[in-house]
Amino acid sequence: MDFYYSLAQIIGFHTLLGLSAYIVLQTGQVSLAQAGFFAIGAYVAGMLTVLAGWHLVPAMLVAGLGAALMACLVGFPALRVRGLMLVIATLAFGEAVRLFFFNFDYQIAKGEVKIGPLGGEGFRQIRWFPENGWTSLEVMLFVWTVVALVAGALWWNDRSRFGAVLRAVGEDEVAAQSVGINLTAVKVTAMTIGGFIAGLGGAIYAHYTTHIEHLNFNVLLATFAIAYPILGGLRSVFGTIVAAIFVQGFLVEGLRFLGDWRNLLFGALIVLAMNLRPHGLIDAATARRLARLFSREQWRGEQRRA
Amino acid sequence: MGFVDYVQAIIDGLLFGTTYSLIGIGFTLVFGVMQKINMSYAAGSLAGAYCGLVGPQLMGLPPWSVFPLSIAASGVIGYLIYLTCFRFIPLASPLATLMSTVGMLLLLDEIIVHSTAGMPQNYPAIYDGDPIEIGDFMLRADLVGVFLVCVVAMAVLLALLYRTRLGMATRAVAQQPVAAQLCGMRLQAVNGLTFVIAGLLGGVAGAMIGASVGMLSPLIAGPITVKGLIVTVIGGLGSIPGAIVAGLMVGAAENLFQALRNVTERDIYVMLLLFVFLVVRPGGLFSGRGHD
Repeated sequence: MDFYYSLAQIIGFHTLLGLSAYIVLQTGQVSLAQAGFFAIGAYVAGMLTVLAGWHLVPAMLVAGLGAALMACLVGFPALRVRGLMLVIATLAFGEAVRLFFFNFDYQIAKGEVKIGPLGGEGFRQIRWFPENGWTSLEVMLFVWTVVALVAGALWWNDRSRFGAVLRAVGEDEVAAQSVGINLTAVKVTAMTIGGFIAGLGGAIYAHYTTHIEHLNFNVLLATFAIAYPILGGLRSVFGTIVAAIFVQGFLVEGLRFLGDWRNLLFGALIVLAMNLRPHGLIDAATARRLARLFSREQWRGEQRRA
Repeated sequence: MGFVDYVQAIIDGLLFGTTYSLIGIGFTLVFGVMQKINMSYAAGSLAGAYCGLVGPQLMGLPPWSVFPLSIAASGVIGYLIYLTCFRFIPLASPLATLMSTVGMLLLLDEIIVHSTAGMPQNYPAIYDGDPIEIGDFMLRADLVGVFLVCVVAMAVLLALLYRTRLGMATRAVAQQPVAAQLCGMRLQAVNGLTFVIAGLLGGVAGAMIGASVGMLSPLIAGPITVKGLIVTVIGGLGSIPGAIVAGLMVGAAENLFQALRNVTERDIYVMLLLFVFLVVRPGGLFSGRGHD
């Protein structure tokens, strides 16, 4: 049973990573920096619980805020450029964060052993969960409570005025600007919120694995981050959650029996999926069809109109 | 470390920077005609260089055969990338081609890791000779070879683009795809050919990177992709002269940072250089446009 709890935790923090890219993608910006914010969250939260002895929850919040601050700072220069230039700028930022932690040493002696991040060796002994006697079921419930809170907030946001503003910027920047929307403010806000969510996810990740190193936060992770919302479609947060469950639960865990061939299959599947469904697995048309399936009310309404 | 060492580092960097220029040109060429970024380009170029190794290692051909084989293989891979990641995906969805090429990047990486068991492969140098000494400075012979090959490749590309009908068609499609089609140019054929040309250039770059590092490893693909993209942005998306100058610049800066700090930190400063350019000249060195 522990295996499934553990898998659910993995899906949990990957969902947070996907949701962090989801809100940025809503404004039409593709950010490959999410793995960098995830790394910042992981290291900050790990250092707070291990070195400063904090409780996990405040440590997570501070980690999220730290990543959000970084996202805000990066947002201003990076959002001067749009589209593909932004992809490259954020990719470079993500790599710069990874290399920063590759060179980051901050160790203090605790009893006999020295603990803390040590460059390429990584950061070991982030053992807050076992030290406080949490079982994997409790950890899983905690992770999914955070996911539910974040997903709920984004779901509500999609229905709010600000959500409409985000989508307006994503659909057509010129039109959005001409109705008086401040593009930079909206994009930087989305980036900041995305950074916060990624920071939360990173904090959970660090405490899940207990050992983090710079290689965990490479381009592959950044790709995962944008792959979830793109595969799941940008219409709803549920698309991202379904995509994270599908990729982590089925492609990564379910196909483990394929051994090394699994990694080959992963890239090939992305290529294939994009050829067959260029607008995501759940695109606008599918979302409408699904909505019609699930709400008979709307279906009847359309029948009447027809 | 004295002044002489720093100048020496910059000279070595400039010589090696030509490979970055080639990778940058490849990104820029594809962007020019399709307004798309091919994220798998650098990985494809290295995959081509790996394919070249098949000649001497498995078929018993002489060591020099690795270079033409690498270049040809990279051209073929370029066309395959076009077929799988661009040909059948609607142009109007930029996210889709971005994702498909990233998927291709992961796939190519994994194929390389799989077929070499993740072991670095030795790659022959282009020329083994004594370094050429000029006063206090010296030019590493293998890097000079790399430099000359890359310059020749660039000259051939420029001649192709500006002196042949094919080049004119490519430039026409880049400027006005619809008008070019009205004049009877086949868009798909020109796009495909651009990928082949970019692939051949990438093959030269991949082979030269292998030749100057002395080996190929799957770990190279990531940094080369990032640096090629940085070169493209600093030079201005779609600008070939920009890519050439930016490539030399990044090569020199990288080596200078390595001399000033150390090898693990140098790439951080290269990324910072990109951010400086984004703030100061978001449109790139030679391009007036600051977007898409």
